Amino acid sequence: MTTVLPAPVAVPALQRVRARWAWGLGAVAVLAWSLVGAKLLSGNVVNPAGSAQFGRFASAALSPALDRPFLGVLASSVLITVAYAALGAALAVALGALGAVAVARTTWGRRRLGWALSRGVLAVPRGLHEAVWGLLLVNLLGLDPWVGVLAIGIPYGAVTAKVFADLVDEVPRGGQEALLATGVGRLPAALYGLLPPASGGLLAYSFYRLECAIRSAVVLGLIGAGGLGYQLSLSFSALRWDEVWSAVYALSALCVLAVVAGRAVRRRLAAPRSSADRLRRDPALTAAVLVTLAGVAWSWWYLAVSPATLVSDRTGQQLAYVLRAAWPPDTDGPFLREVGTAAVDTVQMSVIAIALATVGAVLLAGVAASPAGRVSLPRRLAGIAVRLALLVLRAVPPPVWALVLLFVLLPGVLPGALALGVYTLGVLGRLAAEATEELDPRPRDALAALGARPVAGWLYGVLPAATGPVLAFALYRWEVAIRDTVLVGLLGAGGLGALLASRLARFDWGAVTTVLVALVLLTVAVDLVSARARAALR
Amino acid sequence: MSRRRAVRSGGPLELPSTTRRGFLGGGAAVLAAALAACGRTSPVSSSVSSSGGTASSPGARGSLSIGAIPDQDPQVLQRLYGTVADSMSTALDLDVAYQPVTDYGAAVSLFRTGDLDLVWFGGLTGVQARLQTPGAEPIAQRDIDADFHSVFVVNTATGLAPSDDLTPLAPLRFSYGSETSTSGRLMPAWFLQQQGVDPQGFPGGPGFSGSHDATLALVAAGTYQAGVLNEQVWTSRAADGSVDPAVVRYARTPGYHDYHWLLGPGATDRLGEDLGDRLTGYFTGLPAGNDVLELFGAASFVATEAGNYDQIEEIGRQLGLVS
Repeated sequence: MTTVLPAPVAVPALQRVRARWAWGLGAVAVLAWSLVGAKLLSGNVVNPAGSAQFGRFASAALSPALDRPFLGVLASSVLITVAYAALGAALAVALGALGAVAVARTTWGRRRLGWALSRGVLAVPRGLHEAVWGLLLVNLLGLDPWVGVLAIGIPYGAVTAKVFADLVDEVPRGGQEALLATGVGRLPAALYGLLPPASGGLLAYSFYRLECAIRSAVVLGLIGAGGLGYQLSLSFSALRWDEVWSAVYALSALCVLAVVAGRAVRRRLAAPRSSADRLRRDPALTAAVLVTLAGVAWSWWYLAVSPATLVSDRTGQQLAYVLRAAWPPDTDGPFLREVGTAAVDTVQMSVIAIALATVGAVLLAGVAASPAGRVSLPRRLAGIAVRLALLVLRAVPPPVWALVLLFVLLPGVLPGALALGVYTLGVLGRLAAEATEELDPRPRDALAALGARPVAGWLYGVLPAATGPVLAFALYRWEVAIRDTVLVGLLGAGGLGALLASRLARFDWGAVTTVLVALVLLTVAVDLVSARARAALR
Repeated sequence: MSRRRAVRSGGPLELPSTTRRGFLGGGAAVLAAALAACGRTSPVSSSVSSSGGTASSPGARGSLSIGAIPDQDPQVLQRLYGTVADSMSTALDLDVAYQPVTDYGAAVSLFRTGDLDLVWFGGLTGVQARLQTPGAEPIAQRDIDADFHSVFVVNTATGLAPSDDLTPLAPLRFSYGSETSTSGRLMPAWFLQQQGVDPQGFPGGPGFSGSHDATLALVAAGTYQAGVLNEQVWTSRAADGSVDPAVVRYARTPGYHDYHWLLGPGATDRLGEDLGDRLTGYFTGLPAGNDVLELFGAASFVATEAGNYDQIEEIGRQLGLVS
């Protein structure tokens, strides 16, 4: 069957856009500055003598631990991880729905100041990594399943609120305006005029959050919240690579399941089976929603979450204890200078990480994308291999990458930056592949029909069109990378994360507050810069 | 016009009847599950409960939650900790639940909040926990903990021969273990300072590998040319032949007090003033070759007191690790 594509729009004459050039040159300058900061351009950074240690890690990938007791431990850990992810994502969606009302342009109308302020408030929960939330919540709630649930739910809730608000704001206004014009109140008008057209996007994003929550649940395990990440961290601290790989494979399997299910749901939402004129409930979607809700209920039961803990006297006392210790923040001159230096390291780490991930993603996206139509077997196998490799890259937690890269590199900012880069490549590679799949295939087909080789077809037919979306994703991931630097920093790879770890080890809460404030400010700044850059790309 | 839109604008009623009923039914199911959860113990807040039942059952037996972060083979020990819980439970007629924790900082906080009653702390973390939790008392330590040592190791490429002089380490890339480790950080830093080496000096600043095994691997790789770790770990790794030949022992520190069991005030309030003595009696009375002793790599447990850790507290203050 041939698909009929819309006629190509007349392409305007290609010309250089000044703003893009400025952004491009700025990016190159920042990257160069970061590379100099990482001492990549001056002096030796490689430690070839450590390749044997790295080899031990790599070769264990082929011989993961498969003994029965360990697999049993992993199986029960998988349940905990899934339960955390489900509850965390559910909480995020609930918080996001409430928060979206508070930050949507629709709510604020012309009152821009109120809107900007409410968005600013969201930056605080969003600016801190899930692991940081986990560490803070352990101090309030102790050993309680709420720690893991809230640590995922709070930061995810803030992101979800922002995305939900944008989705609702972008819906065509016709229905709502018609309702308002007939005298319907504001609330019912929004419920019946805005929500139904936005519901597909909202549902799709909720499922996407659930996928992300699985990887976050593993990260929380690293700080002791239980589950797969907990087993991984135990094996990791004794450098039992065979067990680490078993846990990584279990996590990969879980991620594949989540991604495949999530993508199926999102495809179904994007292309509904029923014709536009007849609204019918899609049974597959209904089943997906019901299964997910049942999963959330099961998670609640399995983790034995009790709402009473949140309002218990003890929680209040601990909150008072931590707040008293954390205020005022440490504003000592030398310490602030230390925070400044660490912030520079953090920025440089994140820039190198994103640069590595972007270049890698652009190079791999063509192979990783599942091509439309019939293709040769080797090409298909290459695609599967690259996709699996990307999956493993993002399934191995960044702290593990940081240590194994430290075997073959000399200490400094670089191992942490590369660890983050490799991990981000895993995420960005997949996004880039999906973006490539959605590109107009005709330029490449035309080149192929004219006799161009595959590489040339990719270079002239795919690359120019794919660069825009991939760069947009990369800029978005940059903000995420800033937060992730905390993760490698907690293991001493430098930057604000290392500083945070050292102050937490001393229970110096005033200094912890300062570092957290610095982290939030940095995230906000990067978010603003990346939003401007994305606007210039459009 | 679709049927539903027709209904909304006043047409004949034929709504899908499942909507509201389905919603209410689903809501009820969720609520039932939530209520069912009330009788359950969370798998993340007490993973290994002793045979006596759940830790929170209000029976005649009291309950005690214990925690530990073992230094060696944590992946094996953490998963075998039911042994300790069962042994204590039988000997003391208590419900003992072992709570897994991976991080010393979290253990200190959980001890303060009362989530953990009895914790196997390192020297420094024990001091931190005691300062944050008034009324906490050390109960017992291993025979080896009264005279614990760290070993400095170097990569063979440095060409250094074993010596008691630590000054040749100053120009090397150097890694400690975990940030709050007594044997992997605090005491070595102190002994370095004693010999005039800045413990925060070293080219590029000292590294924190995160664990004793990671220190060994990083020194073997040559990423760091020298490092320091717990002597017990070094000895056991050397004995099973898993130490890379590129790593050699350089120096052994003088002895100091390290690991100990610390009992929180909450448990004493709940289970009686004599709980501390009963626990000390239990630990010191373990017969040689007992499984618990084996797990801890000790020949016996001995009594200990807060005064044994005064030196650690003072050094911790000097190095800014205790405030």
